Amino acid sequence: MNALPSSGGWATTTSGRLSAYLGLGGAGLLAGLLLSRPEPVILAVPLLLAAALGLVLARPPQLQVAVRLDRARALEGEDVELEVEVRALMPAARLELEVRLPTGLLELASPPEQVSTLASGEVRLYRRRLLCSRWGGRLVGHVRIGVRDPLGFFTYREEGRHELPLRVYPRPEALRQLVRPMETQVFAGNEVSRRKGDGVEFADIRPFVPGDRVRRINWRSSARRNGLYVNEMRPEQNADVVLFLDTFTDLRRSAKGDSSLELAVRAAAALVDLYMHRRDRVGLVGFGGTLRWLRPAMGERQLYRLVDALIDTEVVLSYAWKGLEVIPSRTLPPKSLVVALSPLLDDRTVGALFDLRGRGYDLAVVELTPLAFVPPGRRETEKLAYRLWDMQREALRGRFLEMGVAVTTWRPGESLDAALTPVSTFRRASRLVRP
Amino acid sequence: MPGALVAAGLAAYPAITLQAAPLVVSLGGLAVALFVAGQALPLPSVVAWALGLLAIEYLAALQLRSAGLDLAAPAYAAAFFLCAELGWLGLEARRGGRLWPGRAVAVVSLAVAGAALGALVLLLAAVQMAGGALLTGVGVTAAVAVAACLAWLARRQP
Repeated sequence: MNALPSSGGWATTTSGRLSAYLGLGGAGLLAGLLLSRPEPVILAVPLLLAAALGLVLARPPQLQVAVRLDRARALEGEDVELEVEVRALMPAARLELEVRLPTGLLELASPPEQVSTLASGEVRLYRRRLLCSRWGGRLVGHVRIGVRDPLGFFTYREEGRHELPLRVYPRPEALRQLVRPMETQVFAGNEVSRRKGDGVEFADIRPFVPGDRVRRINWRSSARRNGLYVNEMRPEQNADVVLFLDTFTDLRRSAKGDSSLELAVRAAAALVDLYMHRRDRVGLVGFGGTLRWLRPAMGERQLYRLVDALIDTEVVLSYAWKGLEVIPSRTLPPKSLVVALSPLLDDRTVGALFDLRGRGYDLAVVELTPLAFVPPGRRETEKLAYRLWDMQREALRGRFLEMGVAVTTWRPGESLDAALTPVSTFRRASRLVRP
Repeated sequence: MPGALVAAGLAAYPAITLQAAPLVVSLGGLAVALFVAGQALPLPSVVAWALGLLAIEYLAALQLRSAGLDLAAPAYAAAFFLCAELGWLGLEARRGGRLWPGRAVAVVSLAVAGAALGALVLLLAAVQMAGGALLTGVGVTAAVAVAACLAWLARRQP
């Protein structure tokens, strides 16, 4: 709840009616004197009476305004209730309330007329249901109040910024499969390691050597081969996953549709959620005008940290651009899987991804194809340019594939699950080579 | 547009009851046209000019015919005030404003009170009194006092 008494700094607007009444009334009095007739004065009487009464009764209002939100966090697509409580310390003849909403929040129903008359000490509640249409951090509570005097000669206006924080988390994309890491870390997790060791997943059999546990002996194989053979197992370990979010570019086709950055954040939120459930350590690198990072970690706190970092993602133009070299080494731990979400439009992003692969990171790229955001055009030359651009992008994807980096193209409206299938297929048939 | 109808009625009154000259009546027609234009555009200053023209038409009709006291003047004044209020309410409605019950009551009460005060002024005017510089001075002083009071009240506003 955020309660503020009105600052008293009311902006007062006087109706043109007052000056018209005073002018006509004054002219009536003068005309009465000049014409020596009572009729001009009689005409002026109601006008001057109204003006005098209006001036006597007009007082700047005294109000206390409190703004409440039913919760501070919501998921994209959910609705929240905003409550504005107005307490009148002095009578307000006519009070008009307007709540200005930040972008990303929409009125669920057309607001009822927020107009009322308040007696002294009266409290009035105005409730609005707001739809969180887009993820992001918002400040809600910009209230505009207009109060009229009893005769409507004066309008007192005040704007109050109560600034209640509302964090709208992105609606995660439906996702069942993940990009599985090539290598695992030492902690227990859900990923079956490629290394052999203590575990429950069968890997292979090998001849018995002194020191092997008796319970590991595979008696059937030993009987068939006239020698002792033991089972080899694969441990289930966790992985380090770093999500690489390209925030250099944001592409949007229409005002209503999702932009490339919105899609990327939604995909990142889904990936974060699923990897965290597998007990993997997840980190984040926001690569754009400003470089932001979160070291890989696990646990619920990290989940909130990551989602909070994601919803603060925006395209920032900065001339003081920094490359990957400034990122602490623990943010990009060795043997970690880097999943990049990018439209692959900015050369700096492409260069950074090549750099990561060059350093031996296990890299997978989800390309939020810019072709889906740009119409091919109508003229032949425009269509030709579009085809050339498409080929150029195909060549770029080819360069990634040559380096052993799986690249998949994700279009708006397509499921992320389907987009990740080619990555899994490519990586199943490939093995990690450290340059 | 109830305001325009009242304005048309006010413009027609001098022509019907005071047999005003065509030139004077045309002033009333112009006033109604300005009133409608002010509402349609919407321009508050045009509505104010229309009201001024209506008053001029009425007073000119009285003055040119050298008529005696108009006993309907308080009613005309109340209708004139209602016309002005309806005009401004129409302008406010164009900007999304609405009439609220308290203001409607206040407007009607002010019209009635104005008519009553007007009737009192008419009664005083009907009393046969010897004129002179003193009485004129009192009248001028009263008018100046009214103007000064209003100016003082206006200064108190922020």
